[in-house]
Amino acid sequence: MAVGRDDKKVTDDLEIFSADNLQSNMKIIYYSRTFLSIISGVIAGILGLTGLTGFIFYFLVMAITSVGLIAKANFSIHAYFTSWNQIIVDGFLSGLMSFVLFWTFAYDIVHIF
Amino acid sequence: MAEELVLDTAIRDWVLIPLSVVMVLIGVLRHFVSKLMRSNQTLDAKMVKEGQVVVRARNLRAGANFIPLKSFRSRKENGLLHVPKGQAQNPQAQMFSDPNMAMDMMKKNLSMIIPQTLTFAWVNFFFSGFVAAKIPFPLTQRFRSMLQNGIDLSTVDVSYVSSRSWYFLNLFGLRGLFSLILGEENATDDAQRMMQMGGFGFDPSKSLSAEKDGLDIVQHEWALPKFEKRAENVLRKLVS
Repeated sequence: MAVGRDDKKVTDDLEIFSADNLQSNMKIIYYSRTFLSIISGVIAGILGLTGLTGFIFYFLVMAITSVGLIAKANFSIHAYFTSWNQIIVDGFLSGLMSFVLFWTFAYDIVHIF
Repeated sequence: MAEELVLDTAIRDWVLIPLSVVMVLIGVLRHFVSKLMRSNQTLDAKMVKEGQVVVRARNLRAGANFIPLKSFRSRKENGLLHVPKGQAQNPQAQMFSDPNMAMDMMKKNLSMIIPQTLTFAWVNFFFSGFVAAKIPFPLTQRFRSMLQNGIDLSTVDVSYVSSRSWYFLNLFGLRGLFSLILGEENATDDAQRMMQMGGFGFDPSKSLSAEKDGLDIVQHEWALPKFEKRAENVLRKLVS
């Protein structure tokens, strides 16, 4: 990941960041979330999770993803992103749709027939 | 009521898997067809010039604090934002006068609509009227019309999905997969398409005057003196 933003404390009010780097960071988050939601959907389907457990599994995977991304950013979020929301919330709902689809697909193939 | 239905394995082999594979392949095909049909339109010099002025004004506003006040003023006042008086061509009229534009828009629309109608007709024709899948979580009765489109049985548990509804699920759920395998700028992104439509009737003089107003209210404050202090801090940290 590229450094998107300089240290905030010194240059108190002026916003200094490189828009391109910031965008590329967002793209990385989006890709990793989509990828993980598809993979976790397939895993949940193969394991045969149903009902609430499947969604809990999704939340768990997304939480692990967030932690992984934060670790990748060396626990200094503001060097790479403008806010915490970006790293935790972004891509959550769009990933859910892919998750449900692949969950259903794998579950049907393995368990229903 | 929630007794298990027994589904034939042939349904899996001949409906569920082929349908999903076809949806993915059609998405890929559509991406490349729309890429093929995208024509690079030629712009006339005046429009390009005005667009560049707008871009320059935007850059000036964004970077205003990185240049001294004098430079900022001279850039602002020396004719950067001369709003052209000429009658702005109405985008609607522009569209009619330029057949290429209309063609372009039609191509974009067609490349989206045709494959979807064809796939839908294909699914309807071959796979109508039976249960193809079961979603692994319970839903309320409200979702019946959404998930069991095409089968009229009120006693079947709602979590069973008809093949036509499986098509719709695929249509929405595969967007994430497409963005992974086709890259960022894939043609299936509807939101982006809408954005393009909005930017289509671009009126330079209007956005120019908006930029002018934006520049007028910029509070200029030169940031570089602070940066010297900052560099000093960094260097001190390195030395100590």
